[in-house]
Amino acid sequence: MQEIELEVNGVRRRLSVEPRRLLADVLRQEFGLSGVHIGCAQGACGCCTVHIEGVPRLSCLTFAVQCDGASIRTVESIGGVRAEHLLQEAFRSEHGLQCGYCTPGYIMTLVPFVSRMVEEARMPEDEEIREAMSGNICRCTGYHGIVAAVRKAIGDQMAASGGANHAG
Amino acid sequence: MQADRPRHVGARVQRVEDTRLLSGTARYIDDIRLPNMLHLSFVRAQYAHAKILEIDTDGLADLAYPTIVFTGKDTAGIAVTAHQDFPEMQFSEQPVLAEDKVRFVGEPVAAVLADDPYDAEDAAELVFIDYDPLTVVGTMAQARDPEMPAIFDNWKGNIFIERQMKGGDLDAAKAEAAHVIRRTFYNQRQTGVPMECRGVVAEYDQASRVLTVWTSTQIPHLVRTYICEELGLPESRVRVVAPDVGGGFGVKGQVFVEEVLVPWLAMKTGRPVKWIEDRREHMMASIHARDHEHTLEAYVSAEGRLLGLKADISVDVGAYSTYPFTAAGDPGMAAKVMPGPYDFQAYEATFRALATNKCPLGTYRGVARPSAVFSLERLMDEIAAELGMDPFEIRLKNVIRDFPYKNVLGFTYDPGSYAESLEKARDLLAADIAEAARSKASSDTRIGVGCALFIEQGAHGTPDFTRRRVPIETGYIAARVEMEPDGEVIVDVGLQNHGQGHETVMAQVAADVLGVDPSNVYVRQGDTLTTPYSVGTWGSRGGPLGGGAVHEASKILAEKLRAIAGHLLQTDKEKIVLYGGKAQVDGAEDRFIEIRKLCRIALRNVDQLPEGMIPGLEAAYSLDGSADGTYANALHAAVVEIDIKTGKMKLRRFLAVEDCGTILNPLIVDGQVRGGIVQGIGSAMLEHFIYDEECQPLSTSFADYLMPLATEIPNIEVHHIETPTPRTPLGAKGLGEGGAIGPAAAIANAVADALGISVLKTPLNGNEIWRLATAIREGE
Repeated sequence: MQEIELEVNGVRRRLSVEPRRLLADVLRQEFGLSGVHIGCAQGACGCCTVHIEGVPRLSCLTFAVQCDGASIRTVESIGGVRAEHLLQEAFRSEHGLQCGYCTPGYIMTLVPFVSRMVEEARMPEDEEIREAMSGNICRCTGYHGIVAAVRKAIGDQMAASGGANHAG
Repeated sequence: MQADRPRHVGARVQRVEDTRLLSGTARYIDDIRLPNMLHLSFVRAQYAHAKILEIDTDGLADLAYPTIVFTGKDTAGIAVTAHQDFPEMQFSEQPVLAEDKVRFVGEPVAAVLADDPYDAEDAAELVFIDYDPLTVVGTMAQARDPEMPAIFDNWKGNIFIERQMKGGDLDAAKAEAAHVIRRTFYNQRQTGVPMECRGVVAEYDQASRVLTVWTSTQIPHLVRTYICEELGLPESRVRVVAPDVGGGFGVKGQVFVEEVLVPWLAMKTGRPVKWIEDRREHMMASIHARDHEHTLEAYVSAEGRLLGLKADISVDVGAYSTYPFTAAGDPGMAAKVMPGPYDFQAYEATFRALATNKCPLGTYRGVARPSAVFSLERLMDEIAAELGMDPFEIRLKNVIRDFPYKNVLGFTYDPGSYAESLEKARDLLAADIAEAARSKASSDTRIGVGCALFIEQGAHGTPDFTRRRVPIETGYIAARVEMEPDGEVIVDVGLQNHGQGHETVMAQVAADVLGVDPSNVYVRQGDTLTTPYSVGTWGSRGGPLGGGAVHEASKILAEKLRAIAGHLLQTDKEKIVLYGGKAQVDGAEDRFIEIRKLCRIALRNVDQLPEGMIPGLEAAYSLDGSADGTYANALHAAVVEIDIKTGKMKLRRFLAVEDCGTILNPLIVDGQVRGGIVQGIGSAMLEHFIYDEECQPLSTSFADYLMPLATEIPNIEVHHIETPTPRTPLGAKGLGEGGAIGPAAAIANAVADALGISVLKTPLNGNEIWRLATAIREGE
C-alpha cells in the first residue's frame, strides 16, 4: 500500500492504495465517480478519459500512484448533475449520444478542444474535429451527431463570449 | 379536431435520458455495488477442443485472502439449451461451467470468488487445468467433412441443422432463362462490440426467497424465465433488472451462461456476487456474428428479368446453440429474406448451421440480413454487368411496385417505396456516376458508385416465431399506463433501452393521446418488477410495437378521461378533446376541465364520477406484430475512391434513402440510421474476428479488431420517404437494424464499379483492396 494525495474535482484527499490499482478503478471505487467508464482497459477506446492537470488522459492506462499530488477532473465536474456545459447542451440538441457509455470520455476529450477553438476564435473543419476525437470509439452514433455537437458548442461559446476573443 | 393540433409524435424532441448520461450519473451494471459482495473471475478454456483431465485448485490455499472456487462438477446439469423443434436438429447443451470437455477458447471452466475483483483475478490465474487436446473443427469445410470427429457425443457429423425453403417452379424458371448467373459470396466473422461489456450482479434473500439479478441485457423477462426454469425458482420471486445498458446491438439479446451461473453462486454462497466482463472475455466469449457463405444461382430472361433464384447458405455458428434464437437463427433468416425487394416467383434455398470450435454465433444488428443483402445485391450488379445493363436499370426492372405483395415464400409485404427510393438515389448520385465513368480511363485514381436496395422485416408477430419453432415463441410488447392524482403519467413498457431513446419516444406517444406534455410522462422499462411481461428490445420492434402498445393503452385511459369530462361538462364524451393539459369541448374552448383535476376525481374525489364508474386510472395493452411484420425499405449508396498505385481506398460519400413508415422522432430516427450505417461500414471495410487453424482467437483487443473511427467516416446523408404501414397503430415500421444492413453490399458494389471486377467477399480492408488493385495494375 502507498499513501498518496489526489485532488479530484476540487476536493483534496489522502488515501492509501496498492501500487497496481488503476486510476479509473480508484476514481470509481474510492471517489464514487460513476462517470468514469472502462471500455477496453487497453487504452484504445477513450471511454475512461479524465483530465490530469488539465490534460485529457486515459485513466485505464494510469496507476493512481502515478498521480500523487495531481489535480484530476472527471465528467462530474464539467456541467454538474444537470449537464449544463455548452458542449453537453450541444450533445443533447445534436443527438451526439445514444447509449451514453462512451459519452463522458468524449466530453473530457472535447472540452479542451472546444475551448482552444473558442480562444483561437475559429471554426474548425469537420476533418479537424474528427481528428480531435480519433482516440475515442463510439459504437452508436456513427460520429455524425458528435461532430455536429462540437461545431454547435464552438459556435455557441463564441457567440456567448461576444467579441472578447477578438480583442487581442 | 385533435389531428389538426401540433403533436409530439413526429417532432424533433430532445431526449430526456441524455442528462444523466452526459453528467456521469447514469447507473450501468458496474455501478451496482452491494454490501458484503463477492467478485467473480472466470478461468476460461485455453484450448478450442479438449478433454478436461484435472482441475487443480491447490494453489489457492496459499493465498493470504479467502477464495471460493466452483467447477463443472458443482454445477453439473445446469446449462443453456436452445433447440429448434425440428427432427433434423442436433441438440447442444452449453454447461454454465464446462464439465468433461471444452468446445471453444473462452468457455468458462471454473468460477473463482474473492472479496476484491483484483484478488479474484489473481486467484483465477492459480487454477491449473490439465487438458487433453482433441482434433479441432475449425472451418466450414471441416464441419461438413463426415470424416471429422463430432464435437458433441452422440452427434452425427457437425451440422446443427440443414433444411430447405422453397416456393414456385424453379425448373420452369431455369428452362425459360436466357442467362444463368452463379456466384459464391462470403462475409467474415465479426462481433458486435457494445462499448460496455457484459456484467451480472445477483443477490438472494433467504428469508423472502427473493432473488434479484441485475444484468446488462436487452431481454430482462426472458432472462428471468430462463433462470427460473433452469434453477427451479418461482418467477414471482425473481426480479431481473437491466440498469442503463451501454450498447447492445443484439449482442445482449441472448441469455448467457453467466446470467444463470451468477444467481446460482449468490444462492450457493449466501452473499451477493458480481461479475464484470473484461474486453478480452467479451471479444472471445460473448457471441459472434456473420460468417456466412452463400452460393446463389440466378435465372434471368434475355431482357434482364429475374425469373428464379437458387440459394445454398452455410453459416459457421460456432460451438453451441444460443438462446432464444438458436443455431438455426442466422441461416434460417438468410434463407427467408433472400428474395428481398424483387418480383419473382421461383425460389429454393438449402441452408445449414455448421458447428465449429468457435465462440457461438448470436444476434447482431441485422441478423443475417447484411449477408443476404450483400449476396443478392452483389448478384444484381453481376447480372447487370453480364447483360450490359446499368445497376439502377436492372433493379428498376425487377423491383416490386404493387402492394400488398405476396412473395415467393408466402410473406405479404406492406406498402413501401422501393422504386421511388431508387429513382431518388439515382438523381442524388448523378454527378458521382458521371465522375466515376470518367475515372475509368485513369491509371491512378478510380471512382466507383455502388448501391444496395433492401427491405427489412421487423416487428414480426407470433406466427413468424411459431413457424421457426424456436424458444422465443412470441413477439408481443406490453405496456401499462397509469395516471396519478396530480395528473402525472407513468408508462411501464416491456422494452429495454440501450441507446434508442425509449424514455423520450414513449412519452411523446402517451402525451399525444392523453393531452399532456411529455415532461409529465415518466417511462419505466427494463425491470421485471415494474414492467409487464414482454420479449424486450430486439428485432426492430421498440417503435412499432412498444410505441404501438403505449398508444393503445393510452387510448383506453383517454376514453375514461373523456367519459369523466363529458359527465362533468354535461356533454357527450365524443365531443371531448384532450389537449394541452385540458379536456375541452371541441369547438368551445372556454368549456374545459383540467386533466389533472380529472385524475384527482378518478382517484380521490370519486363521488364526482359518473354513476357506476369504477375508480382508478390504469390501462394495459399487449401488442403483437402482424403475422408477417412490417417491411421497412432503404436504398444505401456508397461512392469510393481507390488509388490503384497504393491500394488506398477512401469512402467519399455515403447516403441512405430510407422509409420506416411514420417517423416518431426524426432526431432519433436519423441517429439510428447513421449509427447502423457506420457499423455496416465496419462490416464492409474493417471488422474481422480471426481464428488461427487451432481456433485460437487472434482478435481479442481493439488493436486487433478494428472498428470505424471518426476519421474514417464521411458525414452520412439521410433522406426520408414516409409510407405509413397499416399494420401498426402509429404507422411506424421497424427501423433500428436497417442502417447496418446495406453498407457491405453498397460498398462492395462501389469497389466492383471502380475496379471493373467481381467482388465476392468482405472485409474490403487495406489488404484486400491492395490485392484487388494489384490484379488491376498487373492486368493493364
